[in-house]
Amino acid sequence: LDPVHEALERLEWEDDRQEETPRSRFRAFSRRAALTGGAAGVAASILAACGGSSKSTTTGTAAASGTPASGVFGGGASKPLKFAFVNHVTTNPFFVPTKYGAEDACKLLGCTYQWTGSENSNVNEMVNATNSAITGGVDGIAVALVDEKAFNSPVDAALKAKIPVVAYNADAKSNARLAYIGQDLFVSGQEMGKRIISLVKNGDVALFIATPGSANIQPRIDGALDSIKKSGGGITPHTVATGAAVPAELSTIDAYVSGHPNTKGLFAVDAGSTQSVAQVMQKHGLRSKGVKGGGYDLTPVTQKGLANDMLDFTIDQQPYLQGFLPVLELYLYKQSGTLSGIADVNTGLKFLDKTTVVPYNSTKSRYEGSSTSAGVAKA
Amino acid sequence: MPVLRSGGRAPATAPAAPSPQQARARRPGAAEVGKRFLTLREGSIVVVTVLAILYFSLKTDRFFTTDNFKTLLPYFAPFAILAAGEALLMISGEIDLSIGSVFLFSPFMFYEFSQAGLPLIPCLILALLCASAVGLLNGVLTEVIGVSSFITTLGTLLGVGGLTLIISHAAPVAMPGAEVTSTTVNVTHVINGQTVVLPEKVNHIGTFAKIFGGGIYSELIWALVIVIGVQVLLRMTRWGMHTIAVGGNKLGASEAGIKVRVVVIRNFIMCSAFAGLVGIFEATRASSVTPDTAGASETMFRAVSAAVIGGTLLTGGEGTAIGALIGALFLGVLRDGLTLQGISADYLDFILGIAILLAMVINVYVGRVRKGSGRG
Repeated sequence: LDPVHEALERLEWEDDRQEETPRSRFRAFSRRAALTGGAAGVAASILAACGGSSKSTTTGTAAASGTPASGVFGGGASKPLKFAFVNHVTTNPFFVPTKYGAEDACKLLGCTYQWTGSENSNVNEMVNATNSAITGGVDGIAVALVDEKAFNSPVDAALKAKIPVVAYNADAKSNARLAYIGQDLFVSGQEMGKRIISLVKNGDVALFIATPGSANIQPRIDGALDSIKKSGGGITPHTVATGAAVPAELSTIDAYVSGHPNTKGLFAVDAGSTQSVAQVMQKHGLRSKGVKGGGYDLTPVTQKGLANDMLDFTIDQQPYLQGFLPVLELYLYKQSGTLSGIADVNTGLKFLDKTTVVPYNSTKSRYEGSSTSAGVAKA
Repeated sequence: MPVLRSGGRAPATAPAAPSPQQARARRPGAAEVGKRFLTLREGSIVVVTVLAILYFSLKTDRFFTTDNFKTLLPYFAPFAILAAGEALLMISGEIDLSIGSVFLFSPFMFYEFSQAGLPLIPCLILALLCASAVGLLNGVLTEVIGVSSFITTLGTLLGVGGLTLIISHAAPVAMPGAEVTSTTVNVTHVINGQTVVLPEKVNHIGTFAKIFGGGIYSELIWALVIVIGVQVLLRMTRWGMHTIAVGGNKLGASEAGIKVRVVVIRNFIMCSAFAGLVGIFEATRASSVTPDTAGASETMFRAVSAAVIGGTLLTGGEGTAIGALIGALFLGVLRDGLTLQGISADYLDFILGIAILLAMVINVYVGRVRKGSGRG
């Protein structure tokens, strides 16, 4: 039972760092009783720890697994961990799967999360929400770093207050965040550019972007332009800003197509513009004229458009993972006492076409936001 | 505002007031003070704001803390300045929708001037002049040409927003003078009775940034100075009297010899200049600025609603800068408090909407004392 004694030594050393109270004495006693109870107790407590249950039960073994956890967090009752997601477009349908991902992970691990930020990419508002989360004493923050510099101070403040911060969906190089979970935007743009070159040999190509300059979509268009430029071929790209709201995006693209009948390809770098491209293709019957199209993300309209051959491709970045993994990483980071949990994850460069999109259309899925029933759940 | 001050402490002075007999004879009773306080336009919104603060203090132990006070500041201070300017203009009977765009436009002009090699202070002055020029344009179009201010400023809201996109090439920029530098300082900790020296990162910002928005209390101090300034201007100067007169009865005011055009155009310029100033504060605070014109109307809308909640009439002729400050504070307390409570974004607007309605019902109810007060 060497590991057991070693563990006891460690825990007791932890306890010594705190003042002795009747409660801590009881804790030490119950722990000894539980752990020296035998290998069965150890096994049970390990199992309980694996289950990640933070609910305290009255059995001796559970007390054993509960106490070390509270030791890690500096004592007190094992309150469920609380995480904050700071988002730039909190009510955008793109992030519905992300919210589901966070929700499922929280259910699995017995934590809670808060979805906050700005409705329309207002950076100051996001900074305010981050500061409120820090003041509110959350256990971890996931933030979409849509601005290169603005989040540096709040993130530093959070880390100083021992609140771990990870970035999701959008990243900033100069930020001190512990990890980034999302698409490598520039690389995905370059890949898209290569697709465009293979689809359209020469002529005018329109690249639609909702809000130019936004750190979560601008790198994509930069990447695409980079590839097109490097190819040195006969493609002339035109960048068109379409606006943040979907109706505006649709009418902008509609108007552009009406005004530029010689355009050989319509490509978009954000979800709203992509679905609008599909709708405009259908409306003007552009596919029969050989116009190519493609874009990013999977809204229901985009999925149908792709299946009906209105688009050539769309790129899935798995928004579900962008909610699930931050919770998982922050949880592990807390539980391991900062020893583990943090990892950069590239959530994807999944090109979908007419055939591979079929399962997305035929199933209602939590992972794409079309079903409200829980996805990943405890066995 | 001596009445406001004594009124604000009405509950505190209540037990003290009855004991000295002379004081009682000389001064009105606590109930009378309270009543008179409520007859002020800001009176009822102060009560509602205090109620909101009480509610959040009871709901979350983190609300009534120094940390949260610092967090709360940017939720309301910038909007208080915007609302004070907007209130000034609304009192004279016009509205400015373009402040949301001017708010974005001025930091980009600041950036451009700085790129041209000018020092920070001249950049600031020139950027404010650019913002004022938008106000002048609004004023001239409204007062001289005769386009309604709603349409004029709707035009400049879009036009100046578009201009911002063109100037910035739709790309975010780092604010000059707001660079954050980090130094590593060795901090001594005592752990287990042992002294451990650990390196810790400390962020610094320049003096310019500290004064103009970057410092923790900078926006608060500016807001207080500007709000008090506008309040004094409204209550104690000819300009203020004329503003109220023009808003109350434009024709009457002009027949009484007030230069209506000058007064209104001046208020348009003030309103835009404040918006430009706040734009630079907020950009400096975030240390970078994004030309996101989608958020411009929301910024404007919050400022207008803060002014209206604070008791400024949409029809003009009545309103105060202090009220605008309290209105902004109320909205800030709601947003900060709800976020602190862990309300998710999907529910936030819903709850915010209900809270505003509820508060305004209380506001109207409390303010009804005014009608029966027999003041004046």
